[in-house]
Amino acid sequence: MTRFVYLIKKDFEIDWRQQSPFTGIVLFLSSTIFTSYMAFGGFISDEVWNALFWIILLFTAVNAISKSFSQEERRVHYYFFLCKPSEILLSKLIYSVAYLLVIAAISFLIYIILLGMPSFDFNLYMINLVLGCIGLSSTFTMISAISMRASNRSVLMVILGFPIVIPVLVLAVSNAKKIVNGFIWIQIQGNVLSLLSVDVIIIVLSFVLFPFTWRS
Amino acid sequence: MGYLLKTEWWKWLCMVMILYTIVAGLLLPVPRLPILNETIRVLHFHVPMWFGMIFLFSGSLIYAIRYLRTGDNRFDIYSYQLANVGIVFGVLGLLSGMIWANYTWGEPWSNDPQQNSSAISMLIYFAYFVLRGSIQDEQQKNRISAVYNIFSFSLMVPLLFILPRLSDSLHPGSGGNPGFNAYDLDSNLRKVFYVAVVGWSLLGYWFGTIAVRQSLIKLRIDDE
Repeated sequence: MTRFVYLIKKDFEIDWRQQSPFTGIVLFLSSTIFTSYMAFGGFISDEVWNALFWIILLFTAVNAISKSFSQEERRVHYYFFLCKPSEILLSKLIYSVAYLLVIAAISFLIYIILLGMPSFDFNLYMINLVLGCIGLSSTFTMISAISMRASNRSVLMVILGFPIVIPVLVLAVSNAKKIVNGFIWIQIQGNVLSLLSVDVIIIVLSFVLFPFTWRS
Repeated sequence: MGYLLKTEWWKWLCMVMILYTIVAGLLLPVPRLPILNETIRVLHFHVPMWFGMIFLFSGSLIYAIRYLRTGDNRFDIYSYQLANVGIVFGVLGLLSGMIWANYTWGEPWSNDPQQNSSAISMLIYFAYFVLRGSIQDEQQKNRISAVYNIFSFSLMVPLLFILPRLSDSLHPGSGGNPGFNAYDLDSNLRKVFYVAVVGWSLLGYWFGTIAVRQSLIKLRIDDE
């Protein structure tokens, strides 16, 4: 029980001590948002505003979560003897969801400062954003575990991850588009719940399949 | 000649069915409909490709699960080769659909949920091949590609239900459009269509067995 807390703490400490990965991601998204601001500033419509934000979040998520397992390569043998695969996966999932939520919050802040914010139901948008982030980060965590053993990791993260993340992404983006267009909870209830169920499917599948990527 | 006589019965059945599909599918009378006209004959060549593809991919999934349960290398070969043949069927289905759509919808690609989901499943399986190519260790390659196969297939299924709900479709049989049953008043289409589905799926299975046998032989030669 306490082992996965230690694993989360260790991930946090690694990020705390060598700050370059996190700073790099924040810089990555700031420069992406700034570039979009230079390209779109002034004539962006509400739907494009929403789609652009999700695309930026998608690319940031790939880059941020890809390190989740690739940084563990040299420590795999210790973990193999010390912990159960489910504990490792649980700690990684919790950490990467929290990590992506922090990143999403920062990018949302920079995004609305530069590109403005149309008026919509803010709380509903945030619920949808959190569900989308859970889906993105859990998918990419699993893909990171799959591509850990391969030689060209960064390319594989994208080509393995993007087709699989599409259910999460189309649901999240279309919900967000409806929210931006002024829909209320009753009208998008069904789609938000299906997004939640896709998240659950991804997490359950990860727990079933992860032990097989771990054994060697 | 001796080989032909030893050939299993279902191979003969497959050959007869496909021959019948080609001859009857091109020659039997079809309902005259505006816009569709003679292109309705694509039903016997395009739709069975999807049946064949789903059949082969499901087989690939089943063998991936069996591989993870047993660790038997043969199951990995089955899984890989079935996906290989499945993707040939998928590409043929996509191309025939695009040619058909060009004549009836006016453009080869029109953001149709069926087209999008099939394109995504192609992407998934091409990524599966790239993944297999980029892991050196044999054991790890087999296990991790089986994991990816199961993971991606299980997420492809919800996708097939989600996408049509989000956008409207031009495709026959979805988005409020009637399927071929509504036009097929004298059952002429049905006479060929059911045979075509079974025939093409059998052909896919036949391809699969040949590809599997070839890799098994290759594996044995490498071992010696």
